[in-house]
Amino acid sequence: MTWWQVILSGFEALKDYIALHVLTCLIPAFLLAGAMVTFISREAIVRYMGAATSKLKAFALAAGGSFFVAACSCTVIPVASGLYYGGAGVGPAFILLWVAPAANILALVYTGTILGEKIVAVRLIAALLMAFAVGGVMSLAFRKEEKARAEPNPSQTTQVQTKVMKRPDVILLLLLVLALLAPNYIVQRGPYYQKVIVWAVGMAIAFGYAFLTKTREEIGHWMRETWWFVRLIFPLLLAGVFVVGIIGALLPEAWVTEWLGGASLRSSFLATLIGAMSYFATMTEAPLVHKLMGLGMGTGPALALLLTGPGLSLPNWLAIARVFGVKKALVYVPTLVVLGTLVGWIAGNTVLR
Amino acid sequence: MRIEILGTGCPKCQATEQIVRKALAELGMEAEVVHVSDPRKFGEYGVILTPAVAIDGQVKLSGYVPSVEEIKRLLVR
Repeated sequence: MTWWQVILSGFEALKDYIALHVLTCLIPAFLLAGAMVTFISREAIVRYMGAATSKLKAFALAAGGSFFVAACSCTVIPVASGLYYGGAGVGPAFILLWVAPAANILALVYTGTILGEKIVAVRLIAALLMAFAVGGVMSLAFRKEEKARAEPNPSQTTQVQTKVMKRPDVILLLLLVLALLAPNYIVQRGPYYQKVIVWAVGMAIAFGYAFLTKTREEIGHWMRETWWFVRLIFPLLLAGVFVVGIIGALLPEAWVTEWLGGASLRSSFLATLIGAMSYFATMTEAPLVHKLMGLGMGTGPALALLLTGPGLSLPNWLAIARVFGVKKALVYVPTLVVLGTLVGWIAGNTVLR
Repeated sequence: MRIEILGTGCPKCQATEQIVRKALAELGMEAEVVHVSDPRKFGEYGVILTPAVAIDGQVKLSGYVPSVEEIKRLLVR
């Protein structure tokens, strides 16, 4: 294969992607992300997490709340460090650090439209189980340090009064989720223009509702946040798809089947390592996994890659080490690599077989 | 006046700094603008979501990139 054929397959992938995903998938996804940032009080969620008294409650709140904190692994580090240095335990802080990129609503919905709902359900459950395990390991490993740290600052914890979200916001977010899901689920086969029609109806309903219930200022704020997501994630997504196209052309199928196929412990470990080291912007993991599965990757290793891909990367290890200290990074990263490998292996031999 | 931008140097935080400077320029005001990028400082301010803007040590907004108009309103007050 000549080099220009390789480049060409990159553009080919890009063309397919833009044609099939931008309108019906990405536009609603970005609008949803923007709406989540604007209408859900992440501040309130994070404060609830920090104020929780019992350990179990704090873990559950951290894992549950992180679904809505979305979306990019680069923005989650300051949020988690704010939580930690604001007085919350080391467990909840690292749960947030893990769950927000690995299993936020945006990434889950997007994975669903590309890879199907079964693997998403497993991804969700696996991410939650891993969250509790990581929280437990971190709390246990640093229990002395935790004891020495001051109690949560009461002046901050009493501020928990702001509501997480109001009812019209819940309805608007649900309408957006529906607008995102409907074209890809109602029209599973059939011509593309049918998807576009379903999409247009869904968007019209969501926007109609927004104009009825929101002030112009709120809608402006929503659009600005949406535009930020487009600016930050879209170029990365395009670059990611381009690279995926090239990888797909260069990687021999036999190689993928050999090293990432089946459901062996080794395939799962390799997939976890790839995911844990390389940088995936939120959502780029889905097209890559889709491509690799087409080349013969097993579903267990695919799950492992989906889990560790967006949550971990080399730059992200360094950032965690800088913000939380080298020791915590040295416990956190290997714990996740072990957990990811095990989860991929077990799921690949049971539920995803 | 001392204006602090709390953020890790991410694109949104830099945009916030530019917006603050623009608002100052449009109002013809002078102020010291500093970028605080140490996450431990965020905890002291009680800031969880970046970017955040603090004027004279008081956090005025956090979690999003403000508009120029919004910053102007805060400055004039």
